[in-house]
Amino acid sequence: MTAELSFNQEIANMMYATHGNPISHCLQCGTCSGTCPAVEFMDYTPRAIIGMIRENFKDEVLASNTYWSCASCYHCTVRCPAGIDIADMMYALKRYSMWKSRFKEGLIGPDFSEGFVKMIVNSGKSFEPILATTYLPKFSAGDLVQEALTATGLVLKGKIPLLPKRIKRLKKFQRMVKRIIPLGELS
Amino acid sequence: MKQYAYYPGCSLESLAKPYQLSAKEVSLALGLDLREIEDWNCCGATAYFPVDELLAYTLVARNLAIAEKTGLTDFVAPCSACFKNAYYTNNYLKKDPDLADHINFALEEDSLHVEGTLKVRHLIEVVLEDVGLEAVKNKVAHPLAGLKVAPYYGCQLLRPRKDHEDVENPQYFEELLSAIGAEPLEYASKTRCCGASLIITNRKAALEMVHLLLKEAIERGADVIVTTCPMCNVNVEVYQSQVNREFGTNYSIPVMYFTQLMGMAMGIAPRRLGIAREPVPKAQAPVSA
Amino acid sequence: MNVQKRLIIIDDDPDFVGGIKSILERAEYQVDTAYNPKDGFQALQARRYDLLLLDIMMGRGAEGIALARKIRKDPKLREMPVLIITSVREQIAFLFPGQAVHPNFVDVDELVEKPVEPKLLLEKVSALIKAAEEKHLQPQ
Ligand code: SF4
Ligand code: SF4
Repeated sequence: MTAELSFNQEIANMMYATHGNPISHCLQCGTCSGTCPAVEFMDYTPRAIIGMIRENFKDEVLASNTYWSCASCYHCTVRCPAGIDIADMMYALKRYSMWKSRFKEGLIGPDFSEGFVKMIVNSGKSFEPILATTYLPKFSAGDLVQEALTATGLVLKGKIPLLPKRIKRLKKFQRMVKRIIPLGELS
Repeated sequence: MKQYAYYPGCSLESLAKPYQLSAKEVSLALGLDLREIEDWNCCGATAYFPVDELLAYTLVARNLAIAEKTGLTDFVAPCSACFKNAYYTNNYLKKDPDLADHINFALEEDSLHVEGTLKVRHLIEVVLEDVGLEAVKNKVAHPLAGLKVAPYYGCQLLRPRKDHEDVENPQYFEELLSAIGAEPLEYASKTRCCGASLIITNRKAALEMVHLLLKEAIERGADVIVTTCPMCNVNVEVYQSQVNREFGTNYSIPVMYFTQLMGMAMGIAPRRLGIAREPVPKAQAPVSA
Repeated sequence: MNVQKRLIIIDDDPDFVGGIKSILERAEYQVDTAYNPKDGFQALQARRYDLLLLDIMMGRGAEGIALARKIRKDPKLREMPVLIITSVREQIAFLFPGQAVHPNFVDVDELVEKPVEPKLLLEKVSALIKAAEEKHLQPQ
């Protein structure tokens, strides 16, 4: 019986194809945390999360909001002296948590990603994040978006379409998707 | 006129219509022939990667394949998020034959094939490199004298990292603004993230990020913030009232696409550039922070 | 059985790998493991295996599919039976609710969904190995 894989190794496997260096190269210098525009809204800083992964604090890492608070701005990535693609690591953690349905209660991120991908698979096109709330009533933030739109001088010629346009070759597009994610018959 | 395979992206069909209008007008006037590719699909912005990165690449690859089929050599996107996705997917396809094989198998369903041979560019790069500052200057009919502009580059135009650009302190946006007679301000936040991708999922964080961008621009006396991306533009523009409520501020500053400002300088009617609120130079000196 | 059969599991989930590995070892199989598609493919090239147990969601996404296709194109690996083991239905079922994993997405031999019944697993494994051997013995 082989020893079970540590969480640190699990994340290394999730990131086996990353274009940066493995997180084992991290110097714990904190440049990423100092750069991050979202850091004050994170339970743990990016540097701390990397330290925690390396110490196998699996439950604490997964239960944190850190990786779902990452804006994918790549500022940390371009500054990391150890050449780690930290934004890519945040994506890997998001995937890990979605595949295993293990994320902090009350986060909107996982639901939003799900809704977004569903929308694209069904139509080939997307709404914009700004308008998403009007398309996804479950987030019940439609009022805020409406307010934002009316409060500014933003011109919207015509009404906001309720759903994005569809692409023409939608059926072929969906068969294409199915060759990548092989689920059952598409409607 | 040089032709380009043009990928507008989803935003330019709805909230960012002014960008679409002004990009077309200005390109035409500059002698750039943008040919919109047929039946393109959403490139996924930042929302696929948490689910399946291979799917994310495939969706981008479909657009690249459609563009390759036109025989044109340059793929141009006006949206920074679309640009970044296309730029990196194109590179990865070239570098990773297994990935290309897998994706091409999927693309067969739509009779498409991708090679990764296109040159993927953002619209502002095309303006700077293929038209050039001198030619831009020659087209200026009404220099925007006295207009103080905060040039906002945002994230994905610059990062993660391309060839040898200065990702920390780029200057090309400033140079373009000077060419149309405007006054580019020192804007330290110019490459700081605006938080557009968090506006739904982590509203507090996103509003704080918008707040900082507005604060610096206004303290430096900007008449207008100018962007190169529909995500940034819409995010910084429409959430001002909520920033004001959250932070007790009273910000109200126009946010425009670089193509709108160029169009104004070139004498194109504001209506044709989708301009709702024309920026007027404020005579006052910048408030020192 | 005179020669011990050698299997490989390519799956990123250590709990799951640990579980089926011990089931298979109790049934006298030799079992190697790899936890990402790249290590997995290297292992497959380093030696001959009688069967591959392959997961779908790994690394960047549905990598198991890409790997299965690559194996089927490789003249040395083409004959090896592949058993796909996945919980993809739970993982990404939200895309197409209520639908099972499509059985014919790639030319593999069998697919079972997690969690796997030990008895069912052993039956499938021995049937696949046997079928592959018979196919090999038959004159083409
Ligand atoms: S910047 Fe890089 S090396 Fe420094 S703490 Fe962050 S990940 Fe580690
Ligand atoms: S990519 Fe994410 S973690 Fe890195 S600086 Fe940006 S928001 Fe912070």
